[in-house]
Amino acid sequence: MNAFIRMHALAVNTFREALRNKLLYTLLGFSFVMIASGVVLATLSYVEVNEILQDVGMGAIRFFSAGIAIFVGIGLVHNEVDRRTIFTILSKPVSRAEFLVGKWAGLTFTVWLQLVLMVAAFAVVSMLAGAPLGADHFVALGLIGLELMVLVAIATLFSAFTTPMLAAFFTVGLWIIGHLTRDLQALTSQSEAEGVSQIATFIFVLMPDFEVFNKTLEAVHGLPISGNEIGLATVYALGYTVCTLILAVMIFSRRDFK
Amino acid sequence: MKDERSEIVRVNGVVKDFRPGFGLVRKRVLHGVTFEVHDNEIFGFVGPNGAGKTTTLKILMGLIQPTEGCASILGCDVGESEFRHQIGFLPENPYFYPFLTAREILEFYARLSGVAASERDARVDRLLGMVNLGHAMDARLRTFSKGMLQRVGVAQALIHDPRVVFLDEPMSGLDPIGRKEIRDLILSLRNEGKTIFMNTHILPDVEMVCDRVAIIVKGQIRHQGAIEDFIPESGRRSDIVISSLPPETADQLGERFDLEMRGLGERIEVQVDEKDVNAVLDAVIRVGAEVVSVTAHRNSLEDVFLDAVREGEANE
Repeated sequence: MNAFIRMHALAVNTFREALRNKLLYTLLGFSFVMIASGVVLATLSYVEVNEILQDVGMGAIRFFSAGIAIFVGIGLVHNEVDRRTIFTILSKPVSRAEFLVGKWAGLTFTVWLQLVLMVAAFAVVSMLAGAPLGADHFVALGLIGLELMVLVAIATLFSAFTTPMLAAFFTVGLWIIGHLTRDLQALTSQSEAEGVSQIATFIFVLMPDFEVFNKTLEAVHGLPISGNEIGLATVYALGYTVCTLILAVMIFSRRDFK
Repeated sequence: MKDERSEIVRVNGVVKDFRPGFGLVRKRVLHGVTFEVHDNEIFGFVGPNGAGKTTTLKILMGLIQPTEGCASILGCDVGESEFRHQIGFLPENPYFYPFLTAREILEFYARLSGVAASERDARVDRLLGMVNLGHAMDARLRTFSKGMLQRVGVAQALIHDPRVVFLDEPMSGLDPIGRKEIRDLILSLRNEGKTIFMNTHILPDVEMVCDRVAIIVKGQIRHQGAIEDFIPESGRRSDIVISSLPPETADQLGERFDLEMRGLGERIEVQVDEKDVNAVLDAVIRVGAEVVSVTAHRNSLEDVFLDAVREGEANE
């Protein structure tokens, strides 16, 4: 119970701090512009106008919310160490695991909140344009929320032991790779060399698979999203997040704060 | 002589190596540091800048892991965190979230320290009053001066009523009034039964408040013991600055008390044995001269400290 109170206090503080980050508002503003610009882009086509509008909107939500998760997340721990606020926090009965989980929870809540705002903007634009808006749209947008949770955990991991610039480089890299791992696996599975296929499988297991959260195509084109897919994505997100945070705690626990 | 049960802090053969860069070369900053702090005493950890005081304190706070050796507080290994509700820590030049108010930051630390929700508000109000920040409790910390932040740092260290308090350069950034208030606070904490560990390189502060002292130079403990051990009775002297002292009185005092005198413009400074201070002051006041200041000047601690620094540099 005490551990929960401590993590809650850290999460609330992280949330309050993140709300003061100007980058968050900049990216949020750009996302609104991009969601609205779907209306203009859709007029360039005579067919699938609604699909283009919603595809652009959901793409913008994924891109900008990931940007917020990465670029606010990379300084999550580094800033605490750099400004030495971590000294007084860790001198309290706060374990390093509680500290990291609290920071992760605070930023995850922040990016979920901005996701809700983006989804609201998306819904308003869709309704004004007369595009259909069903439960599958919200399921697909909810899966982006799970993707953000994993992404914040990855940003927290890199922030726990490296500089913001390197953490940004690694996290952006993993986000891009995470959306390409299935393509890479499909490509390497055609290789006749057994070793290449095994290495590709190993990398596929190790690297995040963000495509498991990408149901934009299904939502936009009215294709069904099964309960199994949602369940798999949820379990995958929770599992990958927990494993990433455990690794982060293991590294962070060995760190000296000079 | 304190017994083993009253040992609150134990540092045993602690060695710390740092890697200055990415290479394999290691720099040793602590060389087998050993000392202990007893219950309900004010312990001064003294050394010049770069001696290893803050590194030792960070090891005690679990912020740095020792390369060799071990350290414990209240019998618990410093790597653990659960016992930390019994300790308070003021880092050197503390920094806090600038977007929070003084009240909010103390509530935050109270939550982290496990202070019950029903007690938090009263505790925060009492602590802010104690460090004279009651008037600024709802101001954002970004508007605070360095001295005010230091007071917030003291308040957060005490918010959970800890049994042991660790202070890293507690007088840093404070004006003379603030320094006196912190000294008085440290003494009052001891009167409440707490144990205080104080890192500092300011010897007058140590002389005024500490019960025991360890001197660290270049990562090695050079001396440790009770403050009296460093200041023998015969070595205690005071500096008295006097103005408007008639020359004939000055001559008489010089002969009677074997004083060392030094002119400071219209004032003179005399060095007096501590046992003669009252008699000299009586004589000075009787002839209508003005006593500008009296400063206890304990050469012994300063001498031991300077010898230790020179010895450390010579051994390097």
